Amino acid sequence: MRSSRRLVAALAVAVVAWAGSGCAVIPVGGPFPVDEAGGGDPMSKPFQRMIAVPPQPAWAPIQVVQGLQAAMAAYADEPGVLSTYLTPAAAKTWRPDGPITVIANRPKYDYVGKSDGDQVVIRLTGTPVARIEADDTYMPYSAAVGDISVDFTLVKDAQGGYHVQSVERGAGLLLTMDDVARAYRPTKLYFLAGPPGPSRLFAERRLVVDRVWLRVKPTENFAQTIVRRLLDGPSKALHGAVGSVFPQGMSVRSVRSDDDRVVVDLHGPIAPDDLYTDGLKAQLKWTLNNNDMANGRTIEVQLDGEPFYSSDPLVIRADDMREDWLGSNVSPAYYVSRGAVRSLGDDRPGNAVQGPAGQPNELYSRLAMSDGGAMVAARGTPAAGGGIWVTRVAPDGRWQRWIQGRQEDLTPPSWHRDGTLWTYDRANDTVLRCDPASGRGPERVAAPGLDGLDVTRLRVSRDGVRVAVTVGKNEVRVGAITGGGGAPMLGNFQTLITVTDEEIRDIAWRDGERLLVLVQSKNAQSVREIYVGDGQSTELPATNKRLESISALGQRLLAATEGRKGILEFNQDKQGWVSKVGEGDAANPIFSLG
Amino acid sequence: MPPTTSRSLRRRTLRQILGGVRRRARRAVGAVRRAWRRSLQLQVVTSTLVISVTVVVVLGVFLSDQINKSVIASSQASAASEAFADRVQIAAALSQEPDDQAKPADTGKSAPADPLDAVMNTITGSGENGSKKRYEVLVLNTATPGSSRASGKVSPRDVPLALRQGLERQAKNLRYDKPLRHQALIRFSGETQPRLTLVIGGLIPPDAGASYEVYHFFPLNDEEQMLSNVRLAIVVVGFGLVLLLAAIAYLVARQVVTPVRLARQAAERLAAGKLDERLKVRGEDDLARLATSFNEMAGNLALKIHQLEELSQVQRQFVSDVSHELRTPLTTVRMAADLLYDAREDFEPMAARSAELMQAQLERFESMLADLLEISRYDAGAATLDLDSVDVRDVVLRAIADSEALAERHSTRFELRLPNEPCMAEIDNRRVERILRNLLFNAIEHGEGRDVVVTVGADRDAVAVAVRDHGIGLKAGEETMVFDRFWRADPSRARTIGGTGLGLAISREDATLHGGWLQAWGQAGEGSQFRLTLPRTAGADLKGSPLSLVPPEIEMRRTWRGQMTPVLLPASGDGAGHEEL
Repeated sequence: MRSSRRLVAALAVAVVAWAGSGCAVIPVGGPFPVDEAGGGDPMSKPFQRMIAVPPQPAWAPIQVVQGLQAAMAAYADEPGVLSTYLTPAAAKTWRPDGPITVIANRPKYDYVGKSDGDQVVIRLTGTPVARIEADDTYMPYSAAVGDISVDFTLVKDAQGGYHVQSVERGAGLLLTMDDVARAYRPTKLYFLAGPPGPSRLFAERRLVVDRVWLRVKPTENFAQTIVRRLLDGPSKALHGAVGSVFPQGMSVRSVRSDDDRVVVDLHGPIAPDDLYTDGLKAQLKWTLNNNDMANGRTIEVQLDGEPFYSSDPLVIRADDMREDWLGSNVSPAYYVSRGAVRSLGDDRPGNAVQGPAGQPNELYSRLAMSDGGAMVAARGTPAAGGGIWVTRVAPDGRWQRWIQGRQEDLTPPSWHRDGTLWTYDRANDTVLRCDPASGRGPERVAAPGLDGLDVTRLRVSRDGVRVAVTVGKNEVRVGAITGGGGAPMLGNFQTLITVTDEEIRDIAWRDGERLLVLVQSKNAQSVREIYVGDGQSTELPATNKRLESISALGQRLLAATEGRKGILEFNQDKQGWVSKVGEGDAANPIFSLG
Repeated sequence: MPPTTSRSLRRRTLRQILGGVRRRARRAVGAVRRAWRRSLQLQVVTSTLVISVTVVVVLGVFLSDQINKSVIASSQASAASEAFADRVQIAAALSQEPDDQAKPADTGKSAPADPLDAVMNTITGSGENGSKKRYEVLVLNTATPGSSRASGKVSPRDVPLALRQGLERQAKNLRYDKPLRHQALIRFSGETQPRLTLVIGGLIPPDAGASYEVYHFFPLNDEEQMLSNVRLAIVVVGFGLVLLLAAIAYLVARQVVTPVRLARQAAERLAAGKLDERLKVRGEDDLARLATSFNEMAGNLALKIHQLEELSQVQRQFVSDVSHELRTPLTTVRMAADLLYDAREDFEPMAARSAELMQAQLERFESMLADLLEISRYDAGAATLDLDSVDVRDVVLRAIADSEALAERHSTRFELRLPNEPCMAEIDNRRVERILRNLLFNAIEHGEGRDVVVTVGADRDAVAVAVRDHGIGLKAGEETMVFDRFWRADPSRARTIGGTGLGLAISREDATLHGGWLQAWGQAGEGSQFRLTLPRTAGADLKGSPLSLVPPEIEMRRTWRGQMTPVLLPASGDGAGHEEL
């Protein structure tokens, strides 16, 4: 009796326990602390790619050319398919190297002559958009360039299918914009300002953006592609103007996501003990973070799969390197009222600066302010005798003429962040540079790329690496200051924008990589923001007032209206212009540098 | 030849090694079998282990199979629905193609011109703000240039051939509503290890032109990982469960076996004569009742044995008393009979014959009475040895001399086989002589006139005398019965030499008193042999006998018949005889 009662009690306990725990498959309750999973794997971005198929015997000649074009788009992934479109002789001579030509989507295909027979010629006509160079630079074509056409000669083979015998343009791949959008990603690489070389004399910690278009490789994650490209060094536009801590011959073994950190595994002749570690950290940190790869996670650098230093790992934490490697984007704004430089407060006009620059006068125009606002430079009016004048912003400062010359011969002065003053002497076709530290007068700077050009403006970028010039009224070119501090020169000039039927009124650097261009057409004005790396351009909303000059820093953009009718500021949130200083002889908004 | 020798040597060595291994294995198996036979606990634990392993394996396989099925089925179902949604999206996008084509080519950075690109951007998440999908997609249209797309690293090479052929067959039969599924290990380009992948292939019916093949590649790594974890968990839990059950069985069996073992030990001690042995009784369960019953049984048994012993004592006393009491009248009767016998010649022949008969039977009666007294002395434990160091050969010769008269009457001859050296032993001369006389009388009586062989043997520890006759022999099983009191091989046969039927019983008691053995061998038609073995030193334990119990000629004949390797048993080695004692 007793044992059976005990059995019943045990059964009851078991049933209650099962009902309490077992029957609820997923228990309810909480809150519990959650283990952070690290936010997935941002190392590889999703992408789609063209799959090239070999030509079918039943295809019409136009389809064969379309297929060839698809095979060109897939060439980097599947190089074998492209040659199936070519006759054996053409396959032998075909060289798909060199720059890639990007044309607009849906090019036109026309028969030149008969559309049937043993030999057919098809003409492809399309709008050229850009060129992707071998160094991954994306060079947009100006709108002025007309359509390009390429003739494909096709022959019929024994089976009745068509094959491409020759391509009129010769070598080079031809991709549509869709092909590029599918396979390429604009990428920012970060290099150290200052000339490359073993001296590693990086006076100031500063990174420079190099914008390239990288092809997504299916076999490796995109972060690895980016780091590999970073190790290859800067593109042509910055060649000689920037440096990298990575010596030649470095390669990346892998970049992988490891829980809460990104592990970059390098290989090559790098000496961990004799290395500018902060430079390496900065280059990797901003390159991986600003391309959405590290996303603020800790980065660990390894060498051949082992800790970077023989005993310790090299770790770049998210809160490391808070210093301003990209330059400050916060700086007070100024404007000129009746010749006097006044600060621009948030709502109302501010006070005049100290010293002679703050005094009203009619002698100086197109003022520029040095880094930190310590010096002001201006172009002297004919009343002042022309030339470039400079004064310290201090009670005891006074105007001094640093550069001689007529007003119309000298472009408005531009400060370099190292304290030198730059201008272009149109009378002598030469770039002038004044270094107050050297105590010498203005010295000529070689600029072979500007020889014989009508340079109307010269602006040194805030990172001190790039230089933007306007040529005539229709063209902006961007170059770089190469050659280092000792004997600087300007080089690597490339056309950024060419306008037709329009006039470039002013240019201003927003930061290291974006240039604002004020364009005036016959009855409208626009401010275009252009990435100097790849020419990507955005047009800001226009205002009904006519603008004369612009100045920008970071998110802020100021413009002076024509006829000194006030200063406007562009409001990012409202995407519109807001008046900052009303009527009253306000002109020439100024941010330091740029 | 040396090589042959060495080879044979090696072969022999190998054979020896194998033999050694086999022996050892056999020994181990034997030990295990013995342990199994002897231990109830081991049997219970082993049975529990076997049954629980079977149950756990069956349950584990079933469980694992169920989980596998449900996990794979659910992932297949979700994969199929995702693939279906994507196909619908692609089909919808492709059917809009004519409208879009009407628009002029857009050179800005807006949506792609090709609807396939746009829909692929949506599906693969490669557009703006897209997130990575867990699967890859391949859209294949080999008939139209530039109309094939893939996401990630998949390529047409990765599509399993059978799946592709299946879709081609469907396209040929114009069936577009049956997507196919294929699970395969696929090694994608740039990867070193193949991955288990579920590929779902479907067709998008052609609006114009050729149909699109859409393949979805779903990685099954996570499912595989999860299922292998589950399987591992099941194996570990099952293993633990089996161990736990074995431990439980061990404990439970121990609870039952320990009292049983105690009971067995008590029973063994009881059997060994310790009649006071009792079990402890704890509680009221079955085992306690077993202990109670055992104790009752032991008590009753002890009582019965005690009663029997008393009865036996009474009987022995009775025999002894009767023998004593009979002696006095018998002496008187004997004296009277002697007178009659001496005067028998004066009687009529009839009366004279009666006097002779009476004399003979009286002699027999006397000797029987003497034997009875002797045996009752043994039963009372009153027999003692009068030890003396004697040459056994002399004792044998004396006994033969005593028997010679009878032998002559039976025309039997003795054949003596005596060793040359003296066979000294500490014995009671009178008793051993009596034993030998009894054996010789017995041999003469049953020897049917044939020769009686008397053999004396000796070794370091013992001396032995064997008496062999060639008479009718003994039947199987009679070897021990011959030593019983008043036993007769053939009850119908008369005692010709007036044996009392107690001679061999007394002889055996005498031998035992010496610490020796008296054993018999016999075979029908082959005669019989009795062997007396005595230790050289009185009281020393015997380990063997210098003579064989079975006569050597019989042993030889037996081995020859059995076609065995003829090995002569050494005179000292006699295993069978020893174990009988």
